[in-house]
Amino acid sequence: MISIRDISKWYGTFNVLKSCSAEVKKGEVVVVCGPSGSGKSTLIKCVNGLEPFQKGELIVNGTSVGDPKTDLPKLRSHVGMVFQHFELFPHMSVLRNLTIAQLKVLGRDPQEANERALKLLDRVGLKAHASKFPGELSGGQQQRVAIARALAMDPICMLFDEPTSALDPEMINEVLDVMVQLALEGMTMMVVTHEMGFARKVAHRVIFMDEGSIVEDDLKESFFGSPRSERARLFLSKILQH
Amino acid sequence: MHYHWNWSVFLSRVPSGETTYLAWLLVGLQWTVALSLVSWITALVIGTPLGVLRTVPNRWLSGFAAAYVAIFRNIPLLVQLFIWYFVVPELVPRHLGDWFKQTNPLFQEFIASWLCLGLFTAARVTEQVRAGINSLGRGQQGAGLAMGLSLPQVYRYVLLPMAFRIILPPLTSEFLNTIKNSAVATTVGLVELSRQAQQLVDYTAQPYEAFISVTLLYLALNGLVMFFMHVLERRTRVPGYMVSR
Amino acid sequence: MYEFDWSSIPGALPYLAHGAIITLEITFTAIIVGIVWGTLLAVARISSIKILARLAALYVNLFRSIPLVMVILWFFLIVPQAIQSLFGGAIQDIRLTSALVAFSLFQAAYYSEIIRAGIQSVPKGQAEAAYAVGMRYRQVMLLVVLPQAFRNMVPLLLTQSIILFQDTALVYVIGLGDFFGTAQRVGERDGRIVELLLFAGAVYFVICSASSYVVKRLQERTA
Repeated sequence: MISIRDISKWYGTFNVLKSCSAEVKKGEVVVVCGPSGSGKSTLIKCVNGLEPFQKGELIVNGTSVGDPKTDLPKLRSHVGMVFQHFELFPHMSVLRNLTIAQLKVLGRDPQEANERALKLLDRVGLKAHASKFPGELSGGQQQRVAIARALAMDPICMLFDEPTSALDPEMINEVLDVMVQLALEGMTMMVVTHEMGFARKVAHRVIFMDEGSIVEDDLKESFFGSPRSERARLFLSKILQH
Repeated sequence: MHYHWNWSVFLSRVPSGETTYLAWLLVGLQWTVALSLVSWITALVIGTPLGVLRTVPNRWLSGFAAAYVAIFRNIPLLVQLFIWYFVVPELVPRHLGDWFKQTNPLFQEFIASWLCLGLFTAARVTEQVRAGINSLGRGQQGAGLAMGLSLPQVYRYVLLPMAFRIILPPLTSEFLNTIKNSAVATTVGLVELSRQAQQLVDYTAQPYEAFISVTLLYLALNGLVMFFMHVLERRTRVPGYMVSR
Repeated sequence: MYEFDWSSIPGALPYLAHGAIITLEITFTAIIVGIVWGTLLAVARISSIKILARLAALYVNLFRSIPLVMVILWFFLIVPQAIQSLFGGAIQDIRLTSALVAFSLFQAAYYSEIIRAGIQSVPKGQAEAAYAVGMRYRQVMLLVVLPQAFRNMVPLLLTQSIILFQDTALVYVIGLGDFFGTAQRVGERDGRIVELLLFAGAVYFVICSASSYVVKRLQERTA
C-alpha cells in the first residue's frame, strides 16, 4: 500500500531525512517512534505530499507521490490524516467539518454526506455534538472529530502524526480507543506516536527513527523484546519508565 | 499617445530667468526635508513624554494624554493644517495673530505646516511609545522599583531605553509617514516637493517628466531613511534579546 | 477677541451635504474595491509563483512609499487621457472618477498588508489539514484560510478605513468638492472661514471618534 524508497529531504542545508525506506502492506498497522527531531513527522507528511522530498520514490496505492504529473489533491482525498493539534476548522460546525470535503472534493450529495457524517460521529461517540463548534469541545473530543473527519472520505489508509501528544493525560485513552478499534477493523495505519501501549496492542511493526534515518524496522514482538540497536534500546528504556 | 518626451527641460531656465527648473525641484526637495525633519523632531520631543504619561498610574495625566491623541487622530490632517493656517491666528492674542499675518508668507506657510505636522505626528509617536512601554510588561517595572528606584528613575533607566529599541521599526514607519504627510503643505502654498511638481506641470508642457522625477525623489528619500534606520537599529541592538510580537 | 458668527452654516447645509456625499462615495468605493484588490494582492504576494509575488510586492511598496497627494495628482493626470483613448469622449465628473481610481488603487496597497498579515497568522496546520482532505489551493484559501484571516483582521481593516475617510479631504488638491472642500468654499464665500473650518473639524472629529469607539468595542468582543 505505502512504499517508501530511499527518501531523502533537505531543509536548505539541513538533511532532515536520510535515505529512508519502508513498506506498509494493506491492513498493516505500523508505528513510527523516535526522539524529537528524528524526522518522523516529516516522513509521514511526505507520504501524502504535504512535504516535498528531493530524492527517492514514494508510492501510495500505485500512485507516485513525487511525480509532478500526479494529481495530489486526488491522492490526498483517499488518504486520511490526523494531526497533532487536531486542526479542525474553527469557523465551521463539527458536522460541517465532516461534510465540507465530502461535498467540495468528492462531490457527494448533501444528504448522503450528512448521513455519513452523523454515522461516523456516532461511531466515535460524539453524535450529540454535531452542531457545536470546535472551540466548544475538549481536546479529546476534537481529536475524535478529526478522526471522523478523515474517515468521512472513505480513505484506503490513515496517517496519524502524534495524535495524542497535545492532549491532557485523561483524554488520551478516549482517542486511543478509537484508533485501536480502527486497527482491529483492518484499516491500514501509519502512526507516529510515543504511546507504546497502543503499539503493543495493535501494531504489527515498529519503525524507530533517529536523526533522520530509519534505525530499526521490526515486528512488534522483536522490537519490544530485544531491540537490535543501542539507540533504540536507550529510547525504549527512557520512554517505558512512565 | 502623442507625448513628446523632453528630459532636458530641467536644464531650461524658468520664465523669470533667474534659475533652472532643476533648481526649483531641488528647492522643493529642500523644503520637504526641512519640514519633515523639524516636524519629526518636534513629534519626538512632545510625543515621548506624552507616551510616558499614557502609561503612568495617575488617571488625570494619562487621560490628558489620551485626549490629546484623540483630538489629533480624529481630524483629517488637511483640516488641521487649515485650522493652524487660517483659524489659530484669529484666536490667539491680537498682537501674536497680527504678527503672524504680516510676516513673510513663506514663513507663515512653514510655521503653520510645522506646527500642524509636528503635533499631529506627536500623537502617533505617543501611541508608539505607549505600546513599546506596555510590551515590556509589569515585570521590568516591578524589578526596577524593587531595587529602590523611584518611578521616574525606572522610566529613565529601565523602561524607556528598551522601549525605544523595540519601537524603532514602527518609529521608522512614522518618520516615513511624516515625509509623505509633508506633501499636505502644498495646499497652503509651501514650495515643497509636490507643489514644485504642480508648478513644473503648469510652467513646462512636460507633466510626465515632472511627476516621474518628483516620485523618484520621494522614493529616494524613503530609501535613504530606511537605510539610516537600519544602521541605527544594528548599532543599538541588544545582544540576545529577541523582540517578540 | 474674534467675533464668532455661525449664521453661515445653517443656510449652507444642503451644499455641505452634497460635499459629504462625495466624501462618502469616495470612501466606500475605495473600501470595497480596495479590499477586493488588496486581497488579490495579498494572495499574490505569498504565492509560490515568483514573478507574481515580485510584481505584487512592487505595487504595494510603490504605493506605500509616495504621498497620497502625489497619487491623486498622478491619476488626475493619467485618468482623463486613459478615458479619452478608451472611451473616446470625456466623462462628466472627471475629477471624481480620477479620485475614485486613485483612492481605490492606493488603499488596496495598505489593505493588502493588513490582509497578508492576517493570512499568515492563520496557523499553517489549518492549510495542511485542508490539503490533507484533498482540497485544492482555491478551496483551501476560500473555504478555510481566508474566512479565518478576515475574522482576525476586521478591526485593523476598519481602522484603516477610518484613516481613508480622513484622507478623502485631500481631493482638495484637484479641486474636487468633498465635505471639507465645500466647507472651505462656503467659508471663503461668506468670509467666515474660521467658523466653517471649526465646524468641519468638529464633524470629522465626531464621526471618527464614534467609529473608533465602535471598532474598539468590536475588538474587545472578539478578543
